Amino acid sequence: MSRKELLSKIGLRQDGRRAEELRRIRCKLGVFTQPDGSAYLEQGLTKVLAAVYGPHQVRGGRSKAQHDAAIINCQFSMAVFSTGERKKRPRGDRKSTEISIHLHQALLAAVKVELYPWSQIDVYVEVLHADGGVFPACVNAATLALIDAGIPLKEYVCACTASLANNNVAMVDISNQEETLGGPVLTVVALPMSAKIVHMEMSQRFHLDHLPKVLNLALQGCKDIKAILDDVVRQHVKDIGSSTGWSQTNRKQ
Amino acid sequence: MNLCEAEKTFILHGVEENFRVDGRERSQYRPMELETNVVAHAFGSSRLRLANTDVLVAVKIETDVPSVDQPDEGKIEFFVDCSANATPDFEGRGGEELATEIANSLTSAYRSTKAFNLSKLCILKGRKCWKLYVDILLLECGGNLYDAVSLAVKAALWNTDIPRVLAVNLDGNNVEMEVSDNIHECVKLDIVPAPVMVTISKIGEQCVVDPSAAEEQCATASMVVAVSQDRFTTVLQSGSGSLHPSTLRESLKLGLEIGSKLDQALIEVLKQKPAKKQIGFLM
Amino acid sequence: MLTTKIFIRKNRAGNFLKNIREHYLRDDIHCGISNCHDCPPNSNISPATHENKCSLYNFNHYLVLDTNVILHQMDLLEEDAMCNVIILNTVLEEVKHRNLPIYKRLNNIMENTDRNFYLFPNNFHIECYIAQDKLEVINDYNDRCIRRACTWYMQHVPDAKFVLLTDDVANRQLAAEENIYCCSVENYVAHLENCGSLQDKLAHHDGHSISKSDDIFPPHLTTLEIHKGIKENKLYQGVYHASRDNFLEGYVVVEESDGTPMQIIVQGRVGQNRAVQGDVVAVELFNVKEWTAPSDLVFEDEGLVESGVDEVLRKEAELNVGKGKKEAEDRKPTGRVVGVIRRKWRQYCGILQQDGDASGLYQLFVPAEKRVPKIRIQTRQGVFLRTQKIVVTIDLWPRHSRYPEGHFVRALGAIGDQATENEVVLLEHEVPHNQFSEQVLKCLPKLPWIITDADVEARVDLRDIDICSVDPPGCTDIDDALHCRPLTKDTFEVGVHIADVSHFIRPGTALDVEAANRATTVYLVNKRIDMVPELLSSNLCSLRGGEERFAFSCIWEIDKNAKILNVRCHKSIIRSRKAMTYEEAQITIDDKTKNDSIAISLRNLNMLAKILKRKRLENGALVLASPEVKIHMDSETMEPLDVEVKKLFETNSMVEEFMLLANISVAEIILEAFPDCAMLRRHPEPPVSNFDPLIKVGKNLGFDIKVDTGKHLAESLDEAVNANNPYINTMLRILATRCMMQAVYFPSGIYEKSNFFHYGLAVPLYTHFTSPIRRYADIIVHRLLAVTVGSDATYPDLLDKQKSKLLCNNLNYRNRMAQYAGRASVAFNTHLFFRNKVQDEEGYILCIRKNAVQILIPRYGLECTLYLAEKGQSSAYFQYDVEEQTQKCGDITLHAFDPVTVRLSLDSSNVQHEKFVLKLVHPYIEGFSLPPLNVPSKRKGDSKNKNKSHEKRKKQLH
Repeated sequence: MSRKELLSKIGLRQDGRRAEELRRIRCKLGVFTQPDGSAYLEQGLTKVLAAVYGPHQVRGGRSKAQHDAAIINCQFSMAVFSTGERKKRPRGDRKSTEISIHLHQALLAAVKVELYPWSQIDVYVEVLHADGGVFPACVNAATLALIDAGIPLKEYVCACTASLANNNVAMVDISNQEETLGGPVLTVVALPMSAKIVHMEMSQRFHLDHLPKVLNLALQGCKDIKAILDDVVRQHVKDIGSSTGWSQTNRKQ
Repeated sequence: MNLCEAEKTFILHGVEENFRVDGRERSQYRPMELETNVVAHAFGSSRLRLANTDVLVAVKIETDVPSVDQPDEGKIEFFVDCSANATPDFEGRGGEELATEIANSLTSAYRSTKAFNLSKLCILKGRKCWKLYVDILLLECGGNLYDAVSLAVKAALWNTDIPRVLAVNLDGNNVEMEVSDNIHECVKLDIVPAPVMVTISKIGEQCVVDPSAAEEQCATASMVVAVSQDRFTTVLQSGSGSLHPSTLRESLKLGLEIGSKLDQALIEVLKQKPAKKQIGFLM
Repeated sequence: MLTTKIFIRKNRAGNFLKNIREHYLRDDIHCGISNCHDCPPNSNISPATHENKCSLYNFNHYLVLDTNVILHQMDLLEEDAMCNVIILNTVLEEVKHRNLPIYKRLNNIMENTDRNFYLFPNNFHIECYIAQDKLEVINDYNDRCIRRACTWYMQHVPDAKFVLLTDDVANRQLAAEENIYCCSVENYVAHLENCGSLQDKLAHHDGHSISKSDDIFPPHLTTLEIHKGIKENKLYQGVYHASRDNFLEGYVVVEESDGTPMQIIVQGRVGQNRAVQGDVVAVELFNVKEWTAPSDLVFEDEGLVESGVDEVLRKEAELNVGKGKKEAEDRKPTGRVVGVIRRKWRQYCGILQQDGDASGLYQLFVPAEKRVPKIRIQTRQGVFLRTQKIVVTIDLWPRHSRYPEGHFVRALGAIGDQATENEVVLLEHEVPHNQFSEQVLKCLPKLPWIITDADVEARVDLRDIDICSVDPPGCTDIDDALHCRPLTKDTFEVGVHIADVSHFIRPGTALDVEAANRATTVYLVNKRIDMVPELLSSNLCSLRGGEERFAFSCIWEIDKNAKILNVRCHKSIIRSRKAMTYEEAQITIDDKTKNDSIAISLRNLNMLAKILKRKRLENGALVLASPEVKIHMDSETMEPLDVEVKKLFETNSMVEEFMLLANISVAEIILEAFPDCAMLRRHPEPPVSNFDPLIKVGKNLGFDIKVDTGKHLAESLDEAVNANNPYINTMLRILATRCMMQAVYFPSGIYEKSNFFHYGLAVPLYTHFTSPIRRYADIIVHRLLAVTVGSDATYPDLLDKQKSKLLCNNLNYRNRMAQYAGRASVAFNTHLFFRNKVQDEEGYILCIRKNAVQILIPRYGLECTLYLAEKGQSSAYFQYDVEEQTQKCGDITLHAFDPVTVRLSLDSSNVQHEKFVLKLVHPYIEGFSLPPLNVPSKRKGDSKNKNKSHEKRKKQLH
């Protein structure tokens, strides 16, 4: 009967967050042994796995290889059970292909491809649960997997969504429930340290007047995510280091 | 991963000596890790890790119309997805052949009514039934996929809750049904007789179970048997190579024995684990 | 902290999904109590200044309410006596889910900071959240949430006291076990300081008045049974409509399985089973054998508060007697109401029944709307309330009670008082008529209002052009002005200048929101309810003579054959030379001695308008008629002096023509610029069956009325002229008007272009541009046009198709209601005028009925019924001929459209429902007709100079 409000009078969203709060993000590096780098990331209920293979020799025809840079090969795939309604197939549909291309674009901006001429880097992401903000979660997970693989990056590349509640208030990190309740969703991929926008996409049209505040909040979201990822990476390196005896060497010096 | 001749010989000798590369005997499994209820929005799910073979299974439920031949039975469908995360070879449609092969083996393993009774999934004869979609996602391949998949599938089905049907109304040609929206009011299926599969690989002159990825490359022939309560539900030979009838008999016997033990162990684990509260997948 | 909610949901495809949602629990939520030490200081929390004084508790306290208290006792909560209330979010959400209007009213209370209602989001609070137990019923869970919040508050703010109000006994018991103070609402209010009038407002939902008499109504089915019945096609769902004449009869409009509508008659106590006008009910259809025909008896509910069911039983029996005699073909689908799916109870205006004990606790309320049953209320001020028009709402209708039970909401004023009646008209038509709020008034420009250089810069200066306005007399909200000047020998420049209201009303401001809600200015006979505050409507926006004003101008180059060469629109500054009335303008045109620029331009305009009108009519535009009357009021006593049909001049048509032209031109411009969200107005072609009565009457009169296209209709109406009775043509047009559909606003994106057509005007595109002071649609059109011409920017809602659609829905609804309210006001004042008068009047027969003729009295625009016989009986004098549609008595035959003379008087025996009584005077029929009065009716109130009258522009269908 009544439509739910994206943002209640008291400023809380359907799930209890405030407009400018991210969902809980949890992540882990090195979850698999076979890939050169891998990561698992949860953003709210959205769950994504990323694996990186490479840099290695260009697979298939050598014609694709570039003499001055590595090529990045991305594949986005969703488990058929990842959505509320079961998907017919995990990849190959237009949406997945599009996301693969966007992911490629996003990573190209961050990876120092010029270091690996004639090579290829494979980035595979697999969505286990889609609950809004799938693409941003993929970008964030891929970043972690690249770091885990030890591939030099210019800086973290982070992505985040933002939307407009009650036609007025910007809110960040949109869940699936909020997506279906309506409102335009703006997806931004950014290099948060240099505050550059790598990729931007809007799901519906909305008025130009609203763009600055929504964009700013999305960028702020990217910065916040970067801080979270950075913590996890540092902790991970510390853990690995201590298991290989790093910390002791440090202490000796 | 390609092995050189020396490596292969090393593996072969190990099997001959009943002392495999990782220290196991020929009829020994690698350690396994099993979790259930890992995919919150599926009606049942499980994740099984066998050494570095990693399988995630989720069960989704839809309503469907029973087939004309079996008007009082529900349906079950298996779908395997080989994620490129496991190996770049699976990229695009690279894993489809393997996926179809595994899915088909599961379909035939579950076809027997004794192994899996579909009549429980019928809601209204000839008009409405549940259809279970068992979706298998291969996240990492470390050998012995069939065994790992079959165990994970059985665990996921064990974990599956079927929504409780409150009322079924026939409205002309339309079947209207009401279902309890409380997740705690669900119905469980009888999964005890569901089959588990055992792969037996012939390496040199010996048969081994649970071959690792490297061992699979040395195998001259492999056979997969599906065992349900001390009976075979399906037997299939996988890969290239041929078997002598006597070897076949021998491996069937081994398969049955191992399969029953494996099944027992699994059920024990599932029983003692009343779906402990999961915090998050992989965390 | 985080938790998840999991539930199974059915999707549209009929599949079942397991849904999972996150639910974050917070530790940063303020408890809302100003002197709390633990919560971080929050400037939004105001200290509680009010003290809740209830003699049950010897301390001040905060109140916590449960869902049912809010749902049932909203009228009580709206009183200022109860303050310092904590509204729990779980409760609020349930209220919203169960009853949206109540939710909105609660929100209004919460916005009032004086009341100190605090919304506490307990379900997101880390210490107040509790998970639903596995098999816990949702109601128990909600109650548990409330109690958890109470105990948390008690421990969180130990020096404050909290009282839980709930009428649920079980909940009170559980609360008491947890040492929570709790109390029923009735008990609480009874012990409240100054509770007298409050107790009247208490709704009773617990069946407190258990009478000894047995249940007189059958029980209703449960929701589940109803659902099942409807699904299995055993029951029908539909809206219940009560009969106006017979309180024991009603009908339910349902849809058959193939979608065709069907009316099911429900009769008697068992048949109606407590359905109230407008309720959505479930009905069971009887066997064809048990079907009956609609009764033609008139039954009024004569019951008193104390009276039992005997009278009903007697009348039911009477109803049944008639049944057997009904002929088979008259029988209609009949059934009985078995359950109520949704109550559409609202607040009703009316009076207390005058007979019986005025000082009794129980009083019977008689609603003004005849189709609503009498309502029993409890009051301690019965004597006073009997003199008042009051508002009452229904609480419940128990099985043992003959009448629904309700409670008093407020008094409107003395019965029969004009101000009170206006209030009633406004309330019954849901016209928002509160004073403009402070926030709205703050949006107005400050006086003195000065035109700045920047303003001049942004606008085209037309102050040197001789512009004038032509309006009805006494008009203070002048929103259009005109000019015309020759360009060459054969071409003219014609300008229509519309008040630039959108300059003052900026999107999104409180003023804008208020205007959008009001949608239109409502004109009652002696009162105008403005859409925008007076400063704008009658001053800054009104294009008064001699004053410099902002306008939005639409300027054409037109040749002498009224062919439009080009059109341009821009914002401008104008100074109208003169604000004229239609009459003045007409005199100026006709006075050949006047040759100033205004006179010349009026003459040219008039000449062009005539050509435009001819062209329009050639295209198939309809000329329709509806008798519109003007009531002359005495300016001192505000009593109606005279009622007359509005007089029309040529200049009326002149102004109208140019307004139409402007509207059409603007519609084309905005549609081109905004194909998706231009606000347009369409007038759908009526289905052919609508015209049946018109065709029938035409046939009887010997005219062939063609209705296949608008053009044919217009032509056949033009041809239907009878030299002997010139009024026949007007009558046909009046009938044609009644066949039409309502014209409506819509955003262009929601229909195919072929549906934009305006049937009445016979133009493919139309909108409203020319009256922004009194219509909100015009403001939107102005904004769209301003963007098109580059003088303003868009804003999000303007371009949102869905939002525009919602806005249009409101505009259409409010417009319809404003029209009804206007008519109701005219009707009341006409009644007032005729009180204690008896007059003979000329009239025409509009249509012939079985036992009556419908008569139109053009002088007063009245349509009344002349009964030839008591209802249901055949006349002793007249013979009814169905085929010919005549009533015959001897050699006198009454046909439709025959002129007659009737005696007119007012029957005031029913205070709430005065009605006209007609008696035939001419043709004279011995024994039936009356001899003519000696005094021939003549005009009164000749001097109208002093008379103040609010008059509506002639509103046709566009």
